[in-house]
Amino acid sequence: MMMRFGIFAFAATLFAGQALAADPVKIGVTVAQSPPGSVSQGTQVKNAIEVATQIVNDAGGVLGRPIELVVEDTQGIPEKARAAAEKLITRDKVVAIIGEHQSSNVLAAMEVAHRLHVPYINTNGWTDAIREKGYVEVFNPANYNSRVAVAMADTFKALGAKRVVAFCENTDYGIGLAKLLGDQLKERTQGIDYKFETLDRASKDFLPALLPLKANPPDVVVEIMLPPAAYILLNQLYEQGIAPSPKTWLYDASGLADYPDFWQNVSDAAKSMLVFGLYHPKMAAPALGKKIADEYKAKTKNDPSRLLFQAADSLFIVTEAIKSAKSAEPDAIIKAMEELKWTGTRGEVTFSKEKGGFKYHQWIDIPYVTFQVTAVKQNIADTKLVQDPGKPLDTSRLVKPQ
Amino acid sequence: MRDFVDSRSRSKVELWASLGIFVVVAVIPAFVSNEYWLGVVIVSMYFALLAIGWNLLAGYTGQFSLAPATFGMLGAYTTGLLAYDLGSTARTGIPAAIIVAGAIGFVLARIVMRLRGPYLALTTLSFAEIVRLVISNSIEITRGDLGLNVPTFVEGRVTYYYLMLIVLLAVQLGLYILLRSPAGLYLRAIRDDEIAAACRGVNIVRWKTYAFTISAAISGLAGALYGHFAQLVSPELGLISQTGIIISMVVIGGLGTLVGPIGGAFLVYIASELLRDFGGYQLVVFALLVIIFGRFFREGLWGLLRAGFERVLARRVVQPVD
Amino acid sequence: MLALDLLFNGLIIGVFYSLMAIGLSLIFGILKVVNFAHGEFYMVGAYAYTLAAIMLGLSPWLALPFAFIIGAMVGLVVERLLMRPLYAGYASWGLMRDEYAVIITFGLSMLLINLVDKIVGPYAFKGPALIGVSRLYIGPIVISGHRLIAAITAVGVITVIMLVVRYSLWGRQIQAVAQNRFGASLAGINPAKASAVVFALAGGLAAMSGALLANIFNPTPDVGVFPAIKSYVIVVLGGMGSVPGGIIASLILGVLESFGSVYISYQYRDTFGLVILIIFLLFRPQGLFGQKSREV
Repeated sequence: MMMRFGIFAFAATLFAGQALAADPVKIGVTVAQSPPGSVSQGTQVKNAIEVATQIVNDAGGVLGRPIELVVEDTQGIPEKARAAAEKLITRDKVVAIIGEHQSSNVLAAMEVAHRLHVPYINTNGWTDAIREKGYVEVFNPANYNSRVAVAMADTFKALGAKRVVAFCENTDYGIGLAKLLGDQLKERTQGIDYKFETLDRASKDFLPALLPLKANPPDVVVEIMLPPAAYILLNQLYEQGIAPSPKTWLYDASGLADYPDFWQNVSDAAKSMLVFGLYHPKMAAPALGKKIADEYKAKTKNDPSRLLFQAADSLFIVTEAIKSAKSAEPDAIIKAMEELKWTGTRGEVTFSKEKGGFKYHQWIDIPYVTFQVTAVKQNIADTKLVQDPGKPLDTSRLVKPQ
Repeated sequence: MRDFVDSRSRSKVELWASLGIFVVVAVIPAFVSNEYWLGVVIVSMYFALLAIGWNLLAGYTGQFSLAPATFGMLGAYTTGLLAYDLGSTARTGIPAAIIVAGAIGFVLARIVMRLRGPYLALTTLSFAEIVRLVISNSIEITRGDLGLNVPTFVEGRVTYYYLMLIVLLAVQLGLYILLRSPAGLYLRAIRDDEIAAACRGVNIVRWKTYAFTISAAISGLAGALYGHFAQLVSPELGLISQTGIIISMVVIGGLGTLVGPIGGAFLVYIASELLRDFGGYQLVVFALLVIIFGRFFREGLWGLLRAGFERVLARRVVQPVD
Repeated sequence: MLALDLLFNGLIIGVFYSLMAIGLSLIFGILKVVNFAHGEFYMVGAYAYTLAAIMLGLSPWLALPFAFIIGAMVGLVVERLLMRPLYAGYASWGLMRDEYAVIITFGLSMLLINLVDKIVGPYAFKGPALIGVSRLYIGPIVISGHRLIAAITAVGVITVIMLVVRYSLWGRQIQAVAQNRFGASLAGINPAKASAVVFALAGGLAAMSGALLANIFNPTPDVGVFPAIKSYVIVVLGGMGSVPGGIIASLILGVLESFGSVYISYQYRDTFGLVILIIFLLFRPQGLFGQKSREV
């Protein structure tokens, strides 16, 4: 609940003219830098984009011009994201907006981008609704809920689960994924009993929602939430002995285990947790991916996470499109992105042109794995890969919780 | 020397001052074409309407309700939901918002009729929170915190600008007429001493109800207009902090004056946007101003201006002719 | 057993709420105003505790009284600077003392929230736990170590405060001023001093509440808004000015919300208390244990 009208890191161009060799190409970045937004996510995205920008500028910029970032704090609130998009386009005249990492914010801000016809790169909004709108300005190198839902349904089927309970946050991402999971479970499995509970991401105490589970614990508890609420939930699930436990698997659908502040907030609670992983060191990485990971670690001292790659890809996609179109005009960029076939930090990125569903302007074959955390404060590299990219879950590799 | 003690002549001066502000605002688009800043002034006008509504209730009738932002939110959601579910346009949405907000204001008035001071404040605060929580959690109906998209009904920001200004002018004039009439005296009487007013035959129930209803209706109108402008409404609109901002605007501008809420709204909102780039201290400053004005200068900036003006005039009159 | 869990957790949360509510009740008893900045005393305490432990390296057990003292100081300053006009003659507000209190405390609340936000930054800290055990088994109930120890500490503090207010010299002076300000001054009691003591006490208690809960409700600039609303409900339910009423009402609210969130509705659990507040204000404004006030 914020009183601010938004905190802005405002480039000094308005008040102290910067001496630049050439007119910079401005790219707008919207991230959450204060509650109730996920500051954890926002900071990762912002750092990653800055590192990527440095790489581009060191190589001479784009069309001979340097990239200049204009960063806005959305506080994770859709209304602020909308206002930030308006400001970036009308006041700062950016050529594209990137960086948004929360689905509800993407939905709000992309209306502005569509109305004003400016390219919008969805860095981490998973909800299918973003793609289903079919806006030509919006491109999605981000993961999408349908992919996670299918992965989860297959995983739970392989685990032999009979009852699944999901806790989702009250956002488009959370509720969207929770519903999709229900659909996929119904479609792909027989008779798995499923229900989900929506939790307020600004709340600090989830015990009332958890206590009823103690009497009759399910086989799997799924967490579809973002920090800080996600951390509180995980801790309380552990405190009450609900999950992970010998009877109940804990599944992290948001892929939180690689966040820099994960272990300091969660400690014991995540041992034996299963994670939907969009990044794992054991996945094959292209050269650009390795480069970004090294520079990011050098700058922030944090290990790479999948947000890093998604964010970096977001920036590179814009610069690649400008380069190939030889122009920074919106129509040229959009056309270039539609034709894009470029190897980014995770693999070869192309965007589907299939309209009408979650595939529109989506990078369909985003690589993912499932892995299990086997020790407290474990590095991602040491976790146990229980499902390789493109292959089914290998139940023999699973470690049962104590 | 002009005698400012009489409330009627005071109102006239205040009205002229507010018209002066309107003229300045009307002329701005001739110099500023940047869409963003025009948007800032439009949002200030939204706050100005809310401030006028709350000032009527608190400044003139003495009912310190903590729910002005709530009625704005109710108005915004009325027009938003009508558009979302029934596909109606603003032509139905906005009048509906006024009616719905006014009706709920009427109900609230009946509930808090016998409450005073902290009890009134607490009840309206609870009411505000309950409404916000209900809207926020009814995700299936209102989309809750995700926000509800509202279609625009006017093409072009400048058109919207003048539309809001005209509405503001109309509301202000209507209020002026109301306050100059006997009704205005009744309301002020209730504010100054409710028991004495009742003894003199003022129908407390009726006039308090009117005050609440009109105030709520104005807020609902403001909310609906804002909804169509921002094209997104969310429960954020009804947060207690928003009420805090409205109260700040009125207190800084001048509580219980015709020009205070308008001047305060424009000043606070535009200044906060201008100052935003210099580190976000503007809210600290405004909060301090609220405390200082509340403590020492109840009539706000307008009161200070007026006092200064009076002093200058008096000095001029008193100076000997050489 | 679910009902046992709910009862236990409800009682514990109620105990935490009561620390805040007692202070608010005392303020109302002596000044007849509601302090809308009470949540910010809680927030200041939460930050004082957390930052003392993190930055000054104090042990959590030392950081607790530190937070209390900081809260008390803030309460004293507020009383001195802002609350005097409520009884010492208030030039520009005339008879509208209640309205003055609303505006001033509202403004104070905004000021504190934004000031802390600028000074500390909006990032959430996590208050250190008083005891490191994350899971304690008491019969059929599981509870985190910190929650239990914090609750026990809170009960201790509440007992001390009750005894102080009822039997100590200062406490009886406060009661006297609350019953009849003018009469008390005739008896030689300094009402200004009593008000100062009350504000200091209220500030300290709210701060301690914030500190004890800092491990559960991570400190952010607006962390006090939510408990503040709960304490308004409690003060109305228990009776404005009644300390034992406030304690009992806190427990009732805690248990009610606990059961209500499971058996009635989880989404709307925060509205139950608010509805109760409105009902009481309309039909029984003196709450369960307060006295019907007589205007003099």
